Amino acid sequence: MEVSVIRSSQAKVGRIELAYRELGLFSSKAHGVKALNSRSDLCFSPSTRWKNARLRFSPMAVRSEPKEVSRRPKSSDGLRLFVGLPLDVVSDCNTVNHARAIAAGLRALKLLGVEGVELPIWWGLVEQEEGGKYEWSGYQAVAEMVQNAGLKLHVSLCFHGSKQPKISLPKWVSRIGESEPSIFFTDRSGQQYKEYLSLAVDDLPVLDGKTPVQVYHDFCESFKSSFMSCVGSTIDGISMGLGPNGELRYPSHHKTAKGSTIPGVGEFQCYDKNMLNNLKQHAEASGNPLWGLGGPHDAPSYDQSPHSTNFFKDHGGSWESPYGGFFLSWYSNQLVDHGARLLSMASSLFEDTGVAIHGKVPLMHSWYGTRSHPSELTSGFYNTCTRDGYEAVAQMFASHSSKMILPGMDLSDAHQPRDSLSSPELLLKQIRTACRKHGVEVSGQNSSVSNALDGFEQIKKNLLGENVINLFTYQRMGAYFFSPEHFPSFTRFVRSLNQPQLHSDDLLREEEEKEAVEAIPMTSESSINMQTASKS
Amino acid sequence: MSTTTIEPLLHRCRRETSTFRSGSKRFRPSSLPGFPRRLGFHCWRSFFCEFKPPHRPLLLRAVASSSVAATVEAFESSDVFFKETFPLKQTSLVKGKIFIRLGHGKKEQDWKLTVGCDVPGKWILHWGVSYIDDVGNEWDQPPSGMIPPGSVRIKDYAIETPFKKSSSSSGGDTLQEVKIDCDPKSSIAAINFVLKDEETGAWYQHRGRDFKVPLMDYLQKDGNVVGPKKGFGALGHLSNMFLKENALDSKNQETSTKSRVPQRENRLEGFYEELPIAKEVAVCNWVSVSVRKCPDTAKSLLYMETDLSGNVVVHWGVCRDDAKNWEVPVSPYPPNTVIFKGKALRTLLEAKEGDSGSFGVFTLEEGLEGFLFVLKQNENSWLNCMGNDFYVPFPSPTISSGLPKQGQTEGAETPGIPAEENEISSHSAYTGGIISEIRNLVSDISSEKSGKTKSKEAQESILQEIERLAAEAYNIFRSSVPTFLERAVSESEELKPPVQISTATGSGFEILCQGFNWESHKSGRWYQELKGKARELSSLGFTVIWLPPPTDSVSHEGYMPTDYYNLNSRYGTMEELKEVVKNFHEVGIKVLGDVVLNHRCAQYKNQNGVWNIFGGRLNWDDRAIVADDPHFQGRGNKSSGDNFHAAPNIDHSQDFVRKDIKDWLYWLRKEIGYDGWRLDFVRGFWGGYLKDYLDASEPYFAVGEYWDSLSYTYGEMDHNQDAHRQRIVDWINATNGTAGAFDVTTKGILHAALERCEYWRLSDAKGKAPGVVGWWPSRAVTFIENHDTGSTQVGSYFILDFPPIA
Repeated sequence: MEVSVIRSSQAKVGRIELAYRELGLFSSKAHGVKALNSRSDLCFSPSTRWKNARLRFSPMAVRSEPKEVSRRPKSSDGLRLFVGLPLDVVSDCNTVNHARAIAAGLRALKLLGVEGVELPIWWGLVEQEEGGKYEWSGYQAVAEMVQNAGLKLHVSLCFHGSKQPKISLPKWVSRIGESEPSIFFTDRSGQQYKEYLSLAVDDLPVLDGKTPVQVYHDFCESFKSSFMSCVGSTIDGISMGLGPNGELRYPSHHKTAKGSTIPGVGEFQCYDKNMLNNLKQHAEASGNPLWGLGGPHDAPSYDQSPHSTNFFKDHGGSWESPYGGFFLSWYSNQLVDHGARLLSMASSLFEDTGVAIHGKVPLMHSWYGTRSHPSELTSGFYNTCTRDGYEAVAQMFASHSSKMILPGMDLSDAHQPRDSLSSPELLLKQIRTACRKHGVEVSGQNSSVSNALDGFEQIKKNLLGENVINLFTYQRMGAYFFSPEHFPSFTRFVRSLNQPQLHSDDLLREEEEKEAVEAIPMTSESSINMQTASKS
Repeated sequence: MSTTTIEPLLHRCRRETSTFRSGSKRFRPSSLPGFPRRLGFHCWRSFFCEFKPPHRPLLLRAVASSSVAATVEAFESSDVFFKETFPLKQTSLVKGKIFIRLGHGKKEQDWKLTVGCDVPGKWILHWGVSYIDDVGNEWDQPPSGMIPPGSVRIKDYAIETPFKKSSSSSGGDTLQEVKIDCDPKSSIAAINFVLKDEETGAWYQHRGRDFKVPLMDYLQKDGNVVGPKKGFGALGHLSNMFLKENALDSKNQETSTKSRVPQRENRLEGFYEELPIAKEVAVCNWVSVSVRKCPDTAKSLLYMETDLSGNVVVHWGVCRDDAKNWEVPVSPYPPNTVIFKGKALRTLLEAKEGDSGSFGVFTLEEGLEGFLFVLKQNENSWLNCMGNDFYVPFPSPTISSGLPKQGQTEGAETPGIPAEENEISSHSAYTGGIISEIRNLVSDISSEKSGKTKSKEAQESILQEIERLAAEAYNIFRSSVPTFLERAVSESEELKPPVQISTATGSGFEILCQGFNWESHKSGRWYQELKGKARELSSLGFTVIWLPPPTDSVSHEGYMPTDYYNLNSRYGTMEELKEVVKNFHEVGIKVLGDVVLNHRCAQYKNQNGVWNIFGGRLNWDDRAIVADDPHFQGRGNKSSGDNFHAAPNIDHSQDFVRKDIKDWLYWLRKEIGYDGWRLDFVRGFWGGYLKDYLDASEPYFAVGEYWDSLSYTYGEMDHNQDAHRQRIVDWINATNGTAGAFDVTTKGILHAALERCEYWRLSDAKGKAPGVVGWWPSRAVTFIENHDTGSTQVGSYFILDFPPIA
């Protein structure tokens, strides 16, 4: 009798599976007998209700048993798609913003076959008032919603602030910054960037006696303990905020004027007290104390083009001089060291959870066509036509077994302003090559939702090209994301990506269990009938 | 005991399992080894039908079939607990002809009237004669010499002579005729007759009257005369061909015979004439239903088979009590099933091979009392069970399961049954075995098929759900104040310029006049009439006029549009419309076009006879219609708003629909010169789509009619109408603020306040105006009256766009 029930539930599952496959959420190659088998495990194993059935029809049960153990290895094939939650998903009073919209959105994404969502967690919200006092409730609520929606969660720990929406660093940190402005990045003209702490203070006890790295560490630890139940299950990825905008970089372009089509080269951000001290020591140690008096004097300002002053000139620019080499090495090494500090802290802290640590590296693609790559230099990547600056970065990621998030997967050269000599595609390729060389896994992001419509093809090209990317986070949920201008094309995009087999299994499990439950009463009833029959 | 009962079940289960796994497609019935499929069905059919010669009266059959069905039931395989063959009585029109020949017999002076008919049936010639001196239309008995053998005298005025198979007709032909000898020398002026079909008792006349064959020339006044045509002169033997052609014209020519002058006596002309005849013939088909307990799901499998071919649709439902109330069962449904008005299902039966009939398999849940159905073959021919629905009772759950029956059956296969019947039954058991085998396979296949359908349904519903959720999320995100579309990107990328939001809300000081009322269409020249009023309206201070819906419409008022591009309406022609728009522009009044985007009336029926195919330039099909109004069988997505049930609601989620509508609105702006829109029934679809349309057509002013009822408690209008105005504000929000909406809330409240002097209603709990105007004044179009409010006596209505009253 039970056999028939199994059969019928399989049939139903097969049907749903079919539905998903037609939705384009299945990879065609992996589909097949394997799918059916693993399905029957799922029917059997999670429930003790089936004990009887198992006894009677042991061949089937036994066959399915071993599979259960190996269920769901971390997928190494196929793409896992995430979507970023709104940056302000948790308000500054720790409530969930637009909870209904988020819930609907999550459900829609789940149905669409999206693997999970990315949740930006802001330092400035959680540890808002006072150092060491954390308020996780808002984020816990979101995590619960995500969990209930059956989605995975990738958490971005944001130690930076944001202009839009306005999220600043914790108030107590800002207060310290008021009396001690040197904790912020400072540019040549003395302007502070107040949305990230200068990397020069990483190990200085500037925050009420604690070093920023310690504070970050405590924050992460608190996060870990507060999300103990989800870390490693629902939460299967954490990215460490490594700098402005969460990226490993200097805030070299933060003053860039909006509206100018040609981006400037940005400015070096080495003028806070501690950076200068550091530079000075370094210069003295290298035997050129005069080089330690400041940053390059002949660098252009934020919006200027590389050729407006001497430093970045294609030919004979100071960047190629020994001083240039000295400064740029120091400047970029500071950044890599900073990344290393945070990533090592995070990877050791979360080592036992099995959650992958990610760090984001910016795609400073403008002026890539020049010899000096000034945008990359000012933001801290000593990458020029003669030097690969990403090797060191990739190596650093590799040594802390972290994965690299690369944005700009949606950018194509054709859409860049011609005069900026920009090439996101080539830069992306270069960084990915460096990562492959050092065995660093790359996951992708798009840069901005507003140019996504053109970007889908480019994203697909990047994702499905010769170097497959395992994880892509689409940025970002919000009004535009769900608007009729955007959402249908996003739906098409998702459907056109072949999702991995295992991922679809996860999708199905819920439904299967429902089916199984439905099947139970039928069993008992038909067995009653059977008894009547045998009595008669 | 228990082992024996379980075994066959397990056997079946395994077999079916393996079939399922290995892809049962290979096991098509036609490839069943050893038993060609048609043979199987043939046996089945002949068993039920062999005792019925074709075209037999029905009564006999019904009795016979039920008794046979009863016999079969006992011998069918164990799990079939119901089987019955129902007769299907149907009439069809058989067309043929009656021919009348008057000609010479063997001898020159012998004339013979031959009346023939080529329609099969039991024909009788009911005839009589008229004598020369008879007046009126009375018949008389002919002289006995004229009466053919086998005739029956009917009273004293008529003879009934049965038709006989024509001696001249070839074997296959069913030509029948009656020959009557007539003596031209007798005083018989004419032979009158009608045809009678003994089977049905129907009479066949000529033009509503008797056939009349004159044997003597006399003034022919009547149109019912069949006779020789003058002008073809020659006596007798006209060639058949020629006469046939002639017969086609006979009707016209006969009228001309009226004016014919009397001819000499005895001058009898032979003729041959054919007249069309159509006979309604009862066709008897059958439908047989057998119900089998599905051993593995406790569901019932109902197998239906009929010898009807073509598009056979089963209109069916189930009932849970013996009141036989129709209900729609739970899915899955067989393939090709549609839900009809939420009350019944319509399943198209699958054609059997060789078009020899149709069949279908229905899987039904437990606990049903019965299965009700009627059949529909092709268009508009419904087949029922003697005026009632066919009814298939299911066993009550207490007796359920075929297993006990099996025991009985086994026991019953013993002496006691007459030898003759036994013979039949063993035959039937054999064929029954094949049939059930085939049926199992068929049901496997169809369950697989329904699986596919299901998956498609599931897929569609998933996509619809995704869309719905996205829309919901969008609306909320959209309406919340801090939105951040363009996130600060530190790396300056090429940012697209922000989407230009065209807010079609005018200056905020519009005074809008509805330029028509519910009766304006009556004159048929409203545009002309309105033209003369332009200057006056302008002098009164109106700045905007709302013209009636311009499109061709099913209803005269214009709110049931058909062809969007046909602007000739009851209000006037497109040219007149252009002119009136021009006139208003000349006096500085902006013109709003009343566009009905929620629904559109179809111009053609689909194959199911449902009006859902559009005509005109936008010849959309049923994909343009929302799927959730069963009346119109739309194949689009679910409606994004409320449904307007009188016409197919347009599915705005379809790209092609939106594109066409945008093009149309743009065309209206350019071609007619409209400055904006009054949007009808915007409750019917999501405001986001409207935003799209407004962005495309960039109107100066747009106002939507979001009309629903205010909240009442115990018949008393609530003071707090926040929910009502919230719905309107939500809608405005959904349009991204691109359109205003009639402040129906304020109107309703004003009515109540003024009617009953309840002035406390005029301010809300926060001391603001209680309508939309209190919340979003720039988008509220305060509204006094319009055509829907019943005041047709007033010529024009004023809508003031005014800021909140302090």
